[in-house]
Amino acid sequence: MATQTPPSEGVVLFHPHFAGHDQISARTLGFWLYMLSDALIFAALFAAYGVLNNPMGAAGGPIATQVADPVEGFWQTCAVLGSVATYSLGTVALKSGNKGGVMFSIVLAILLAFIFLGFEAHDLLDLLAKGDGPTRSGFLSAFFVLVATHGLHMLFGIIWMLVMLVQIPLFGFNANVVARLLNLRMFWQFQATIWVILYVYVYMIGAF
Amino acid sequence: MQVAIEGPWSPLFGRLTLDAIPYDNPIIIGTFAFAALAGLAVAVPVLYYNKLGYLWREWLTSVDHKKIGVMYIILGLVMLFRGFADGMLIRTQQAIAVGPTSPGVLGAQHGFLPPFHYDQVYSAHGTIMILFAATPILTGLTNVVVPLQIGARDMAFPYMNALSLWLTTAGAILVMLSLFIGDFSAAGWVGLIPLTELPYSPGVGVDYWMWAIQISSIGTTLNAINMIVTIISMRAPGMGWFRLPVFTWTTLSTNIIGLTAFPVLGAALALLGADRYFGAHFFTAGNGGNLMLYTNLFWIWGHPEVYFLVLPAFGIFSEIIPTFSEKPLFGYTTMVAATFAIAGISWTVWLHHFFTMAAGPDINGFFSLATMLVGIPTGVKVFNWAFTLYRGRLTFSVPMLWSLAGLFLLLLGGITGMMLAIPSVNYTVHDSVFVIAHFHCMVLLIGAAIFAAVAYWWPKVFGFVLDERNGLRFFWSFILATAVVFLAMFALGFEGETRRLDYIYDPAWRPMLLTEETGMGIYCLSIFFFVRMIYVSLRDRIPVPADPWATSRTLEFLTASPVPFYNFAVTPQVNARDELAWRRAHGLERAQPQAFEVIHMPSNTGIPFIIGMLSLGFGFGMIWRIWWLAGFSLLGIILAVIIRSFDKNLGYELQPEEVAAMEHNLATAGMFAEQPARIQLTEAEAH
Amino acid sequence: MKIISALTWLLVLGLASCASGDYRLFHPVNLVAGVEWWSTLFEVGIMSLIIVPVALLIVWCLWRYRKGAGAAYDPEFTHSLVLEILVWGVPLIIVAICGFVSIRTIHAVDPYSPGVLAKAEAAAAPIDIDVVTTDWQWLFIYPAQHVASIDEMVVPQGRVVHLRLTSTSVTNDFYIPQIAPMIDIMPGMRTEDAFDAAKLGVFTGFSADFSGAGFSWMQFATRIVPPADFSSWVARAAASPNALSYGAFTKLAQPTVNEGAKISYFSAPDPQLFDKVVMAADSGVVYPVSNELTRSVANLEIGPAKPTGAATK
Repeated sequence: MATQTPPSEGVVLFHPHFAGHDQISARTLGFWLYMLSDALIFAALFAAYGVLNNPMGAAGGPIATQVADPVEGFWQTCAVLGSVATYSLGTVALKSGNKGGVMFSIVLAILLAFIFLGFEAHDLLDLLAKGDGPTRSGFLSAFFVLVATHGLHMLFGIIWMLVMLVQIPLFGFNANVVARLLNLRMFWQFQATIWVILYVYVYMIGAF
Repeated sequence: MQVAIEGPWSPLFGRLTLDAIPYDNPIIIGTFAFAALAGLAVAVPVLYYNKLGYLWREWLTSVDHKKIGVMYIILGLVMLFRGFADGMLIRTQQAIAVGPTSPGVLGAQHGFLPPFHYDQVYSAHGTIMILFAATPILTGLTNVVVPLQIGARDMAFPYMNALSLWLTTAGAILVMLSLFIGDFSAAGWVGLIPLTELPYSPGVGVDYWMWAIQISSIGTTLNAINMIVTIISMRAPGMGWFRLPVFTWTTLSTNIIGLTAFPVLGAALALLGADRYFGAHFFTAGNGGNLMLYTNLFWIWGHPEVYFLVLPAFGIFSEIIPTFSEKPLFGYTTMVAATFAIAGISWTVWLHHFFTMAAGPDINGFFSLATMLVGIPTGVKVFNWAFTLYRGRLTFSVPMLWSLAGLFLLLLGGITGMMLAIPSVNYTVHDSVFVIAHFHCMVLLIGAAIFAAVAYWWPKVFGFVLDERNGLRFFWSFILATAVVFLAMFALGFEGETRRLDYIYDPAWRPMLLTEETGMGIYCLSIFFFVRMIYVSLRDRIPVPADPWATSRTLEFLTASPVPFYNFAVTPQVNARDELAWRRAHGLERAQPQAFEVIHMPSNTGIPFIIGMLSLGFGFGMIWRIWWLAGFSLLGIILAVIIRSFDKNLGYELQPEEVAAMEHNLATAGMFAEQPARIQLTEAEAH
Repeated sequence: MKIISALTWLLVLGLASCASGDYRLFHPVNLVAGVEWWSTLFEVGIMSLIIVPVALLIVWCLWRYRKGAGAAYDPEFTHSLVLEILVWGVPLIIVAICGFVSIRTIHAVDPYSPGVLAKAEAAAAPIDIDVVTTDWQWLFIYPAQHVASIDEMVVPQGRVVHLRLTSTSVTNDFYIPQIAPMIDIMPGMRTEDAFDAAKLGVFTGFSADFSGAGFSWMQFATRIVPPADFSSWVARAAASPNALSYGAFTKLAQPTVNEGAKISYFSAPDPQLFDKVVMAADSGVVYPVSNELTRSVANLEIGPAKPTGAATK
């Protein structure tokens, strides 16, 4: 590396017309990394739930079996997985540039997501009405915050989908829109994954 | 679901009343006067020379990584100064308030700061130094240097880069505002639990601390994403992984730590927020809360955080020492391996911050072993730097001196750290000033690395020298002050002094406390030299060539000084590790591209600045429980993001003739030059 | 050269000041602290085996290889397998040794049951003391002697002392330099500590974990006295007219700064007082510290109380 011998012929020092990085792959990589950070947030919340899910944490109030009904949660699981399925099927339409197809699957995904959130809101409001809100005990605080954080992510996903419903007819499938649709698919699948973990860890394990 | 709080609340102003402004506190009034003068000293020339438009067009809306980096560093230096002022207050209070007969002034029984103020001062000192001085400066340095080191034009996501800057700035503004409106947290920079819960911190102080950190942490996480994608996707052709400069490697590992650790801090603070805003019971002592949960979550972030700060420092040493030894870095591969070993192990050691929390001998034992393990790759780095010096040709430039000082601080910090890693030793010095002296060795080595890096890259970024004479005086006075203050502090730790004391009850500690105060005086002298150094450099502006140090090894020194805003006129082809050294060895360092070409650049945008200010409004609204302000600010942020997404954002193009002209007359392309309005690309042109 | 002379000067200064007897941590007075001090010395000693040679190597390189000194210049010297094995291997061995020592001493000084006190505990029954911290005082309850004291702990020489600790409000950290290993004190929880009262003397204990505005005044005296003196101390405390019922305790636990750490005694403490404190904290009892109170601690200008207004959301 520090020798003084002259280089052989054909040393290239500059790379004209360097096409640069692939925009879409850089953006999806960036979004993966964002989801890694999101996963850590959920990891911390799951850890908090794990620590507070015990008789001391329940402080005389309800415990997991009394607030997390696996049957109710099952319908929520169906809703969210259905939403992911419809949205993902939309990317099949994306491959052939079918605007209508993509938009239709997004609308279905939004509807199913609202059903999911409806179940969840009903559950949480029920608990609040009974006086078993997050102020009742450490366990309930953890339960509410964990479930509500996931619900909030779903809500942001819905807003994102609504924006896409405006941008697809407006811009067509340009690089920005395609990158966003792909990232949204990742985001949505990630939210479903977190829900499945939540369902198993909170609803199923907690219920028995 | 809202929780009862102390004090009045109104729908329009929340908890904010005129009482929140400390009219009767002379120290704060004096500080406000100083801040106002400093603000005028900046604002008056800007307005007089009619530079407001220039500031907006060229700086506040910039997405150029170099300008963003410089703004990060300026922010960090301002906060460093504020943090030092806080440190000065701490030391002076402890020097005066020794023993029951010590005098009290300004309303305090002992010293001049009653506990209420003193506790806020050291909480602010820690929070500012770690999160608002060191983090922004290091982020700024990596922002400026890494794209240049990998031969890129900019970061992967220039818009998000600007967003990170303005979010961090919003957090810093909140910390500064807490001086003049309300109070800051009085529960330590870590947020001691359950002291931060409402019954024990009923005021807004903890809320200021919490929101300032939350908002700036989002900026840091976004920056981590940006940095990682940049390093993975935007390297110049020929720059394979094992040709990457070590500073870029450390930046990569640092940001992997940042990306994974900061969310845990966000969760911990959010849960504390749930306790304070909704009356939840995550960390309360009763009703099922678990206060140890907070401590664990906080330190799961807290330990990787210190490596988040120190790994870039190690990267800086790994650039400067080879340059001024005229030798490649010894053991490149093991340096990279050691970096990632440190980053990985750093995730497994967090409990050593609270060995005394009675986790039991087995758990304490595991974390003790893990903590000691992390010392091995750190030691390897020190050895490799030493072997780089061996049989080199050493020049003791200002950056080299700072790096060497950092090395010695690392040795002292390392041995005291290994002592702390042993629980039986820890049980005697936990929460004592011995621990403070230990971690100040580490943060001051980071400080030394920062001053080394600023001195090293300043000529490259600005195009003129940093005055060496005052730089040397700054260095020597700073190092002398460090030795005096912290060796005395180690001694005090062995004398049994614990930390966070507003009033020192044992007069036997007075001699060492006065020694430390002398050291603080020497720090003040060093600041004078620092300011003089900047002044002389700006006054004389002695230009430098592309390679100001003549022995630099990496790609960023291939560009002109100052670096034109598009970085490289033509993307370089990388042929070796330490590309510039390779070219110099083959007589090719002055080679220029045969022809210029079209360069595609991103456009400036004001949205990041607007989002930053909206998040400031959101934070302020949440702190003072002004719900309408918080709500509208949050809505505004969401709308700004959505509106931005409708921006075609296609950038503009520089034609080859323009590039040629700027290469010929670099003053038109440098950091302070005002660029003409550029024609935005249309959709058709972009493809 | 400058660096060397500066460092030498500092070293001399440091060593000179070490001669002072005020370095409490250098003077352990019982078995537990003795193990801690030995660990400190061992750790410094063994780490110096690496740190000192490296420091000397660096200093020597700085002097020998400065530009213009005419020393050998070898820019190819960038890799050496032997050196790599040494710099990874030797520290690994040293860390293994330190790890072994660490684990051994952890068990020796474990606050819950220090191994080093096993023999002493078998010889004589330990003294049990319950410690409750408030904002900002220390309450020591002697269940077997039926007395309690504020800010003073007296123990007879030659016995092992077992402590149970809890807090009414925020986290504290029990610490008596030269005597007892630190242990956190947390509300709603019970921690334990143990030490042997080997030598006579008076020592200052305090909280190492910041607990609020009155924290700096939170010291307590620890007196290790001959057994006869201990009995007379107990008698004196038992003669106190103040009984420590739980009700009396709740009054005493209100936030207050005990300037000068004034000592007071109680007779007939409630036998379940410690457990009641723990259970109260668990059920959400707090002793809030208002902004008013925080501002007024150690502040000479205590004006008329400002109206706080109705507490709303």
